[in-house]
Amino acid sequence: MIIEGLLSRTIQMSTPLIIGALAEVLVERAGVMNIAIEGIFLLGAWAGFVGTYCTGSQIVGLIAAIVIGMLVGLCYGYITVKLKQHQIVTGTAINILAAGLALYFYRVLFGVPLLPLTVEPLARLNIPLLSSIPVIGEILFRQNILTYMAFVVVFVLHWLLFKTKSGLIIRSTGANPEAVDAAGINVDTVRFKAVLCSSALCGLAGAFYSMGFLGLFTEDIIGGRGWIAFAICFLGNWNPIGAAIGGLIFGLADATSIVIQTSGFKLIPNEFIIAIPYILTIVATISRKEFRVPEYLGIPYIKEGGR
Amino acid sequence: MRNYRHILLTFFPVYSVIVGLFLSGIMMLFLGENPLVVYRDILLFAFRDIYNIADIFAKAVPLIFTGLAFGFAYRASLFNIGAQGQFYMGCLASVSCSLYLSFLPKPLLLSICLLSSLVLGGSWGSLIGYAKARFNANEFLLSLMSTYVAIAVMNFLIRGPLIESKGEYPQTDVIAQSAWIPQLISHTRLHIGLVLALLIAAMAYFILWKTTLGFKIRAVGMNRNAARFAGIDEKKIFITVFFISGAFAGLAGFTEVNGIQHMLVQGFNPLIGTEGIGIAILGNAHPFGIVLSALLFGALKVGGALAVQVSNISSSFLGIMEGFVMLSVIISYFIRQRIMIALEKKRLQEESKVENQ
Repeated sequence: MIIEGLLSRTIQMSTPLIIGALAEVLVERAGVMNIAIEGIFLLGAWAGFVGTYCTGSQIVGLIAAIVIGMLVGLCYGYITVKLKQHQIVTGTAINILAAGLALYFYRVLFGVPLLPLTVEPLARLNIPLLSSIPVIGEILFRQNILTYMAFVVVFVLHWLLFKTKSGLIIRSTGANPEAVDAAGINVDTVRFKAVLCSSALCGLAGAFYSMGFLGLFTEDIIGGRGWIAFAICFLGNWNPIGAAIGGLIFGLADATSIVIQTSGFKLIPNEFIIAIPYILTIVATISRKEFRVPEYLGIPYIKEGGR
Repeated sequence: MRNYRHILLTFFPVYSVIVGLFLSGIMMLFLGENPLVVYRDILLFAFRDIYNIADIFAKAVPLIFTGLAFGFAYRASLFNIGAQGQFYMGCLASVSCSLYLSFLPKPLLLSICLLSSLVLGGSWGSLIGYAKARFNANEFLLSLMSTYVAIAVMNFLIRGPLIESKGEYPQTDVIAQSAWIPQLISHTRLHIGLVLALLIAAMAYFILWKTTLGFKIRAVGMNRNAARFAGIDEKKIFITVFFISGAFAGLAGFTEVNGIQHMLVQGFNPLIGTEGIGIAILGNAHPFGIVLSALLFGALKVGGALAVQVSNISSSFLGIMEGFVMLSVIISYFIRQRIMIALEKKRLQEESKVENQ
């Protein structure tokens, strides 16, 4: 029983991490780090909540999260790709701005409510037949729509990156932008599109935190989860399958910490249980020997003799 | 004429601050506030007495430290995103010494607090440098995650051994008066820590540009391979840089605990590390630039706090102001670069014309 509950929780908690990590894989393969990920997660959570609360429709909430993700991506992509400014700095600025905007407009819309406002969380979709398989059905096939989507995107992204021409172009943009340019393809356009897609996915991932199971929005709802997705992309060696495995491991850590917190287990102080996913990242970062970093990751492409 | 233009260009970031404030002003409209009235009231309030002006400098002190923490490592092309955690470690060291050693005479006690925050912040940072040197681990991820571990350690200690004697809230007791950093201007929050911050900034400059160590650090920053061929032990540099960088952030803990709060509260100053990154970049990772942009952020913070007082704007507005100002400064760098290239082109063309005649 406990194990089943834990594993079901694991799949649930890994959903946003997998979506976020896949988004990061896509954009970093094209040579841009999406440092704004934490801010987009937060704004996505905000937009998903507000969209659902104001219209009563979860579809609107999800679309709002995607749209706001793309808006932030537009801003981030314009400054880092078109204007070629520093990615870490721009991302940091956007993260600060995003936190300010989310809280400020929560206040603008709802004032200071006495009780936290809530929306109906996304319903569990039981997949016919499969969900009635004992144990596995409980764990895998009674999740919400975003979870199923996350696992579909893993394979779609893998296919896109490694089996299609567009994938070849994306990977070359990160590994050898000069060659891409020489082939007559605009490096900046590829990167800009990658940033937009990635930010849209991140917005959706953020929406999972507000709409997926809690049904509310708080200030610290993301609490560094965006950064964990960012780390998973590194640890998964910029590979969609690796990102999915990483997402599952961190989902397990997240779920374990929730299960231990809610149980009577008192041997380890709560504070350290909350820190499990972060400690795990550190251990994984240290023990991982070979990173295949996209060659031109984080380096703006400036055309020779251009300007 | 050309000098005149150059002076205009130097002040480019200043114009962009105004643009950032203008954009934030638009956000005020959503709460039904007139931005012009709010900004006017902020200015009136700020200059009514010395308190708010002094507060700008008081708020800049820890930001100078965290700005230096990022900026110093950045000179070696290392990313220390973990200043927040190193700051908390400094806080813990300083508050523990202040609580348990309060019987010591003031100068001795303060020196111990200063040293302990420096050493603990530095050691916490140097762990990252060590992992980088020994395991070739990615320092960006490590420093990022180390902050969350530091928060866990701090929360544990504040709820456990360090909790106030009433045992009610997650915070420590107020530290003894003997551990308070003396004020610089009485009846304000400005304390001697400002002098310390300026001295440390000068020291960072001195280390980077006037010593062999600084030369090595910058060499590693410019070209790691070339530095290795020149016989520089880059691993030693990683550890040293992260120690110094962490020590800077740790000192912010000392000045905040002993100079401003006089106690340690759970989760306080949660953005100081992130703001440090922004400050370091706006200041071009140069110690003197960092001091100036820390003052800018100090002014924004005081302005944000005043905005809450003079209108019904919420405190999250500060994040909006900081974000917009940072973004517009980043964009202004781009525009300034463009203008400078255009001016240079024009100058070259004119010169060649003169030569042709």
